[in-house]
Amino acid sequence: MDAIADFLATYSTTFAIVGINALLALSVWLTLYAGQLTLGNAAFMAIGAYTSALLGRHLGAPFPLALAAGAVAAAALAAPLGLTVFRLRGVYLAIATLAFGEVVRVILLATPITGRGQGLNGIPPKTELWHIYLSLAVVAYVLWRVQGSIAGRAWAAIREDEVAAASQGIAVRRYKLAAFVLGALLAAWAGGLSAHVTFSIDPNDFAFTKAVQILVFAVVGGIPNVLGPVLGATVFTALPELLRPFKDYRDIFQGAILLAVIIYLPRGIVTLAELRKTRRLAEIGAADVA
Amino acid sequence: MFEQLYNAIFIGSIYALFAVGFALVFSVLDILNLAHPTVFMLGAFAALFAIATLGLPWWLAVPIAFVATGLFGILLDRIAFAPLRRRGAPPLSAMISSLAVTLAVVRVVELRYGGDFITFPAGTVPSFLIHVGGATLEGVRLAIIGLSIALMLVLTYLVRGTALGREIRALAENPRAARILGIDVERAIAATFFISSGLGGLAGVLLAFAYNSLDSRMGLPLELRAFTVMVVGGMGSLPGAVIGAYLLGLGEVASLVYLPAELRDAFAFGLLFLVLIARPQGLLGQRPADRI
Amino acid sequence: MRIRLLVTAATLAALVITACGGGTAAPSASAGASATAAGPLPDVKIGLATSKSGAANFYNPQQTQGAQLAVDQFNATGGFQGGRQKIQLIVEDDGSVRDQGITVFKKFIEQDKVTVILGPTLSAVAAGAHPVAQAAGVPVIAISNTGLGIVGKCDYGPCDWIFRASLGEQSAVPETVKAATSKLGLKKVVIIYGDGKFELDDLAIFRDAFKANGVTVAKEIPYRATDVDFAPFVTAAKAENPDAIVASSLAGPAGKILDEVAKQLPAKRVIGGNGLNSSALLPNANAGLMIVGTAWSKASTDKANQDFIAAYKAKYNADPDQFAAQSYTAMLVLIEAMKKTTRMSDKEQVKKALESVSLSATPLGAFSFTPEHDVKQPTFVMTVKDKQFVPFQ
Repeated sequence: MDAIADFLATYSTTFAIVGINALLALSVWLTLYAGQLTLGNAAFMAIGAYTSALLGRHLGAPFPLALAAGAVAAAALAAPLGLTVFRLRGVYLAIATLAFGEVVRVILLATPITGRGQGLNGIPPKTELWHIYLSLAVVAYVLWRVQGSIAGRAWAAIREDEVAAASQGIAVRRYKLAAFVLGALLAAWAGGLSAHVTFSIDPNDFAFTKAVQILVFAVVGGIPNVLGPVLGATVFTALPELLRPFKDYRDIFQGAILLAVIIYLPRGIVTLAELRKTRRLAEIGAADVA
Repeated sequence: MFEQLYNAIFIGSIYALFAVGFALVFSVLDILNLAHPTVFMLGAFAALFAIATLGLPWWLAVPIAFVATGLFGILLDRIAFAPLRRRGAPPLSAMISSLAVTLAVVRVVELRYGGDFITFPAGTVPSFLIHVGGATLEGVRLAIIGLSIALMLVLTYLVRGTALGREIRALAENPRAARILGIDVERAIAATFFISSGLGGLAGVLLAFAYNSLDSRMGLPLELRAFTVMVVGGMGSLPGAVIGAYLLGLGEVASLVYLPAELRDAFAFGLLFLVLIARPQGLLGQRPADRI
Repeated sequence: MRIRLLVTAATLAALVITACGGGTAAPSASAGASATAAGPLPDVKIGLATSKSGAANFYNPQQTQGAQLAVDQFNATGGFQGGRQKIQLIVEDDGSVRDQGITVFKKFIEQDKVTVILGPTLSAVAAGAHPVAQAAGVPVIAISNTGLGIVGKCDYGPCDWIFRASLGEQSAVPETVKAATSKLGLKKVVIIYGDGKFELDDLAIFRDAFKANGVTVAKEIPYRATDVDFAPFVTAAKAENPDAIVASSLAGPAGKILDEVAKQLPAKRVIGGNGLNSSALLPNANAGLMIVGTAWSKASTDKANQDFIAAYKAKYNADPDQFAAQSYTAMLVLIEAMKKTTRMSDKEQVKKALESVSLSATPLGAFSFTPEHDVKQPTFVMTVKDKQFVPFQ
C-alpha cells in the first residue's frame, strides 16, 4: 500500500498537469469543432492564471471566485477579439490569434504588477486534484451533450461549409463567436487551476510553444469526439515521464511516437478503436478543419 | 542613423532568406513547416561539419550546407509530409509532423554537439572590416546582404522563367490539374523542398558566420518572424515575403530607436494583427477571398 | 464500456509502475532491519535534479559529473560509519521545465526517500520545486541558482530548508562593479538586458551596484530572447557614449554583444553577471573584453582546487567548469555536514549540521553558509586571456 501511496504522491503533479492539459485540449477542441483553428488559447490561459493569482494575492479573493474571475476576464476579452477576427479562417485565423497571444505576452513582460519577466512566484498551491478532475468531468460531459445538440450540429455544419450553413439559416457569426468565447473561458479556467499547482508562473509559460502544444493534444487525440482531446493530452503529458528510462534519448522517442501517431492515425488516437469505421469518418470529414 | 539602417538591412536579409523558403512551401503545399527553423540550424551545423571535421575552407562549406539542407528538405518531405499526402490528411497534421521531426532532430544535434552554443575553429570564418566615414562595416555582413539579394533574384528567375518553376506554380495553383497536365507532381514537390530548405540552411550558415556562433535552438526565434513576414508580404507570395522581411527588419530597428523599449514587440505583433484584419491578403498577396 | 476500459487500463498502468517503484524501495527496508549488525548499512540517498534536456541542457554533463566525482571519491574512502555506509546519488532530468522539476522533487521525496536534494539547474524551475521540498522538510542545496528569492526571503513563505552553494549575483555583481569602476574609472555605462528572470534579477542588482559606486546608468536597453542580431542594440548604446557596456544576459547573447562592442565601440569593456561565466565564450575572439564576477577560478592555485581539476580531468577526460566546481563543492560540504550527524539519513540533523558546517579548503575557497543559508565564499573578478579565465587586474 505504501508503494501506491508513494506513487500517487510522486506523480500528483503529473496527474494535475494531465487533467489541466485535457481541459486545455478541450478548449481548443471546441473551436476546432466549429471550424476555427486558433492559437490564442495559451494567452487566455495566461489571463486566467495571472488574474486568479493576482486576485488571490492582493485582494484575498476566495479560490473559486478568483478562478471564475479569471475565466470571465478572458471571455470578456475574447468576445471583441472573436468579432474582429470573424472573417479570418484556417491559417490566417491561427496567425491572427497567435499575434494576439504575443501581444498579451509582451504586455505581461512589461507590466510591473504581473512581475514582468520574473513572473509571479510563491502562488499558494490551492488546486486539489479533485478540482481539476471534477472540472474535467463536467466540461467533458457538457461538451459531449452539446455535440448532439442543435448548437453542436450548427458548429459541425459551419466547419464543413460556412456558406452553406449560412444559407440554411444558421447564425454563423453568433455560433462561431460562442465557440471562440467558450474556448477562451475554458482555457482561462484551466490556466487559473494550473497557476495554483506549480507555485510560480512567468510569461514564457504561455508562449507560442504552449499554444502549439495545446493544439497537438487536441489534434493528435482526435477531433471526432470529446474523448480525443482528453486522450491526446493524457498520452502526450505522461510521455516525458514514461520515457524517463530512455534518458538522453527521451526527446527522440517522443518525436518518433508523435510522428508515427500523426501518420498512422491522422484523425487522432481516438480513432484507434474505430479503425474499421475510418472510411465513414473520412466521409463526414470529421477532422478536416484546417 | 546610417548605421541603424544598415543593421536593419542586414537583419532583413536574414529574415528574407529564412522566410522565402517558408513561404514557398506554404504557397505550394499549404503547409506551415515548423521544421524550417530546424533546417536553418542544420545549415549552420552542416557548415561546421564541413569546416571542422572535413577541414574544408568556408567558401566550400557554404554550398555544401546548401546542398545538405536541400537534401534534408527532400528527406523531411518523404518522412513527415508525403505519407500524410497519400492518406489525404488535413494540412494541420503536417504542421504537427514537422514539429515531431524538429523535436527529434534538435536532440540528435545536441547529443553530438552539446546544447550550448559553439564556434567555428579559430581563423576558419572570414573576417575583415571596412571603414566608411565614422562607421565600421563588416565584410561578412556586406557579403551576406549582397548574397541574399542575389539569391532572391535567382529564385525569382527560377520560379518565373524556367520549366521547373512553371511546374511548381501549376502545383501551387491546383495540384489536381497539375497532375492531369502530366506534371510529375512528386518531383516538383521534391524540388520545392530542396530550394526551400537549401535557402533556409543557407540563412543559418550566414547568420552563424556573422557571429561565429551556432547552437541547436538558433532557428526558433525566427519561427514567429516567418509568420509575420509571410502575412505582411501576402501569404504565399515570394516577392511579398522578401519585402515583408525587409519591412520587419526596418520596423524592429525603428521601434528600438523611436519607441519605449518595452513596447517594441507589442508594436511588431500589433502591426501583424492589424494587417490581418485590414488586409488579410497582405501587401502583394493575390489569394481569392474564399481561401482566406 | 469505454470508460470501464479506461479505468482498467489506468489501474493496470498504476500497478505496473508501483511494482517497479516498489522494487527499488524494498531492499532499503530490509537492509534497515539488519542495521544493528556490523554489516553494510543502506546507502544514504541524495537526489540531483538537473536540466539534462530542454533549453538549459548545456550545464550538463558538468553539473552531474561534479557531484558524481565527489560521491565516488567519498565512497572510495569507505563511506560513513566506519566504512559501512555509502552514498547513492540519484540523478534525474527536469527537462528545464517547472512541472517536470516538481515531479522530480516529489519522486525523490516520496519514492526514492532521499535525505537531501541538490538542484534544480534553473531558478525558474526552482521557484516551483523548492516549495515542495520546503513543505516536506527535506534539505535542498541549490547549486546553480544565482537570482533573487532563492534563500533568505522567499516568495512562497519560509524557506529554511533551502541552502544555496552557488554564489548569488547579490554578492558577485557588487564586487565586479567595484573592481571595474576603480580600475577603469567608470562614469557612465549602458545596460543591455534580456527579458528572462535571470537577466531581470541581474539588471536590478547592477542598477543598485552602479548607484552605490556613483556611476550613471545612461540607458537601459532591453532585448528579447527571440532577437538574433545584436548590432542595433549596441548601436543604440553607442549613441550614449558610455565608458563601458553592461551585458545582463546569458552567454549566447553575451557573445554577440561582445562581438558588436569590439566592432562598434573599440577598446570599451563589457561588464557582465554570471551569465558570461561560461566556457562556451572562451573561444570567442573578443572574450578578452569581458569583466565578470565568478564563484570559481580555474587559475586558483589552492591545493583543493588543483586536486579537483586533476581528478576531474582523470575521470572525465575534460576540463571542469564552474558548474562542475559548484556541484562538487556542494557535495563536499554536504558530506562534511553528514559526518557531524549521528544518523546520516536524518534530515533534521543534516539541516542543523549544514547550518554550522565550514570547510576551509574547497575548489571555491573557504566555504560556509550565512545565517540566511546563502553561500559565504570569495568572489573572483575575472576576465579572459588566451582562452582562459584569468583574474582581472
